[in-house]
Parts: sequence; C-alpha cells; structure tokens
Amino acid sequence: MIRRVAAMREPTFLILTALAGGPRHGYGIVQDVAALSEQRVTLLPGTLYTALDRLTAEGLVEPDREETVDGRRRRYFRLTSEGHAALKAEATRLRQLATAAEARLRAFRPA
Amino acid sequence: MAPTGDPLARRYRRLLCCYPRAYRRERGEELVALLLDTAPPGRTRPRLREAADLLRNGMRCRLGRPASRTVVAWAALAAVVCGLFSAALAARVAWETARPLPGRAETGAIFRTVLPDREPDEVTTPSTFFGYYTQPLTLQALDNLLLGDGGEYQQTASNAWAAGPPPVPAEQTVAVAQRRLREAGWHLDQTAAETFDDCADKLCASIVPVTYTTLDASRGDTLLTVTVNSRSEPEYPYLSIALRRTTPPLVLPAAVGGGLLGALAGWLVLGWASRRTEASHPARAVVKVLFGTTLLLWWLPTLFAVPSVVSHHRAEPHPQWHPLWEWLGQPTFSLFFLVGAVSALLGIALALLPRRDADRVSTLASG
Repeated sequence: MIRRVAAMREPTFLILTALAGGPRHGYGIVQDVAALSEQRVTLLPGTLYTALDRLTAEGLVEPDREETVDGRRRRYFRLTSEGHAALKAEATRLRQLATAAEARLRAFRPA
Repeated sequence: MAPTGDPLARRYRRLLCCYPRAYRRERGEELVALLLDTAPPGRTRPRLREAADLLRNGMRCRLGRPASRTVVAWAALAAVVCGLFSAALAARVAWETARPLPGRAETGAIFRTVLPDREPDEVTTPSTFFGYYTQPLTLQALDNLLLGDGGEYQQTASNAWAAGPPPVPAEQTVAVAQRRLREAGWHLDQTAAETFDDCADKLCASIVPVTYTTLDASRGDTLLTVTVNSRSEPEYPYLSIALRRTTPPLVLPAAVGGGLLGALAGWLVLGWASRRTEASHPARAVVKVLFGTTLLLWWLPTLFAVPSVVSHHRAEPHPQWHPLWEWLGQPTFSLFFLVGAVSALLGIALALLPRRDADRVSTLASG
C-alpha cells in the first residue's frame, strides 16, 4: 500500500532519498543529505534520530545492521518497500509541480 | 565505545539525559558516535545548537509514539496547565514571606491618621494573608470551599471603621484624609466614587442613592484602602480602612521557578504514561480518556476565569493584581481541580499495569 504522505517535509524527503541509495548509518545519512541538498540542509543528530524513529514507526524505514568502527557504534537503516513507494510518489508529485512551474516560466514575459 | 575519558563524549552523554533511559541504553552510544563523527577535531564542548537539538528531541522522545502528530500538543497542554498550577502554589507559599498584617495598634494609628480626633469603633486583624471568610482555611471548611463557595477565599486585611452619620460631607473627609496621609508619607494612588441605589430600610420600602468613595494609598509593603460611605444611618460605618500587604518580592521568582518545575513534571509524567501505554497495554484507551478528562477539568476553569478576572480588573481600580490562582479559577472551581487530579492519579495507576507483551516494546522510546 502506498502511504499518502501529505506535503513531505524536505529533511524527510532527503533522508528517504539518501536511503534510496542503499543502507546508511547516521553519519552516512548526514553526509549524503548535505551533498544532495548542496550543503543547504545540515541534519543535527537529535533531529535525524527523531526523524528515523518516526519513519521507522510509519514503516518507511527499518534498521538494517549494526557495526562498530574505531570503537564507535553504528546502526544502518534501509528503505522499506513502503518507503520506496512513498518516496516515489513524492518525487512524482514534486516533478509534476516543477514541470508545471517550468512550463509557466517558459511562457512568462516580464511586463 | 568511545573512550570515556574524552571530555566531548562525556558532555554529549550528559546531554543525552534528556532522552528516556531505555532509549539511551539502546541508542545512546550510537548517538554519541554520530555527534563525535560530526564534530570537527579539537572541539571539547558541544555547540549550543547541538545541545538545544538534543534537548528538544530528547523531550520529544520522552513522549514516545514517534509517528503521532498530536501527542506533542497534548503534552504541551499538560505542561502549561501543570506549570500554571505549580506557579500558583509556589506563589501562595511565597506569600508567607510577607510581614504579618498590621496589628491593632498600628491599624488604630493609621485610622487616626485618616480620621483625626476619632477612635475606631472596631478593629479586626486577621491572622492569615488569605482567608476563607477572613479565617484561616481549615479541613472543616474544605467541603464548602469545594462545593461552590471557593470564591470566598480571598486576601484578608486589617480593618478599622467608624459608624454613625458622617459628621461632614464625604468630599471633605476624603480631602482631609488625602492631606494627612500625604504628610504621613503615604503615596496616594487613586480615588474613585461610585453611586448606586440601596434599600433605605430593612423592608426595602424605599430606595436611597448611596455613594462610596474609595481612596487607595501605599507606603512600603502596605496598601491602604479608605472607603467613605454617604449613608447617614447609625448602624452603617461611614468610614472604614483596610490594610493589606503588597505582593512580597519573592512571589515572582517563586512562581517562575515553580511554574518551570511544574511544566517539566507535567511533560515528563504525560510522556511516561504515553510511553507505558503506547502499545499492548490493557488500559490504553482508559488512560487516554482519564488524562483527557484531567486536562479538560484543569483547563476549563482557567479559560472561564481569565476573561472574568480581566473584566473585573478593568472595571475596578486595583492597587495590585489578583493572585495567580484566581486567574486559574481557583479555589472557586477547586472541585474541578480535585476531580481532575483524581483522574490523573487513576490514569497513572492504570498506566503502571504490566503490558501484555512485557518482553517487547513497540518503540525504543517505550522504556
């Protein structure tokens, strides 16, 4: 079932987009989100984990595996099929809006 | 695990106290690792932005139900109302730091300042700053207080009055009182006159216009209200004075501190109950209804009282504001508060019941 996520917020969209590239741990998501947004969005750890908890509870994301690197514990998260569908639906919605805006802009003649 | 000797890691762990214990146990090291990964080399203290982010999200995590969009609103309502009631309680306690009300001798002396060459016919000096019909609140009075008569719990005053027909017109009495009070170092605040119709006799066979002129003054921590009555009958006091204490300086900081602690307690208790009843709890729905009832019973009197007190303040001159609990409809609606408190305690007791799947929690925040 595709969950209708009304007006998905940008950080949520970016987290799901980051995870669409494969399982990521917290630091990997933070870096990926910064790169995807051209450094516009910097996720703070508390905000990221709150978002991951919410997305997990909504069934869009799930824990993948854990590992310890240099004494630091890392948990990987991955996109679920429901998360994939929600991201796809949101991307389609944004594309449709962007296409409509671009069409209007092409026809726009400044007064 | 990150080395415990790292001061930055230690400080991050300290900030994680905002999160529930079970969450810290499960995710704490992961979060610290992420915080350390994102910190530039050489940093020894968390940035303010990071600390605020952990505080905000930790408090959100304490509510559990990560997918819920309404739990934060419920928790905010609980925190605000608990903060207001705690602030009111702290303010009432802090009132005890005020100097005792003027005694008989001081009240008599001030009376003679207002009205020279006349001894008061009667002087009363209550033993409490707030009383139920001017008397200290007792357990015996609680039933009346709860059952609709709570509005009689008011600030008390030392009173003195002189009965009998006014020897001179009220304006002249007020003018003399103003001059003498000013000479005695009182700061004159405001004078107001109000005329209304009153019964001329006990059977109310005829109506007479009566004018009450009130004069407010203050000196140090004492507020004085002089009332001059235009009625010329022997049994009515034609001049009375009331002496009250100003709000003690400790009341404001006590109310702010008490309010913050109460708000925190409200948030934490609701968060704990929310996490306990998040899933597979036998009394999940009942607990929700009980806490909803508490919030309704605690908010309703406040929503009713605030416009009423505002309108009262605007209608009459007030040397100082009414105490905070009156703005919350207390103790007039103390029955509402009591039933709400019982409902909250019952909700807490039911939330303590073991979950059906005690070995499994639905989210990491459930502990």
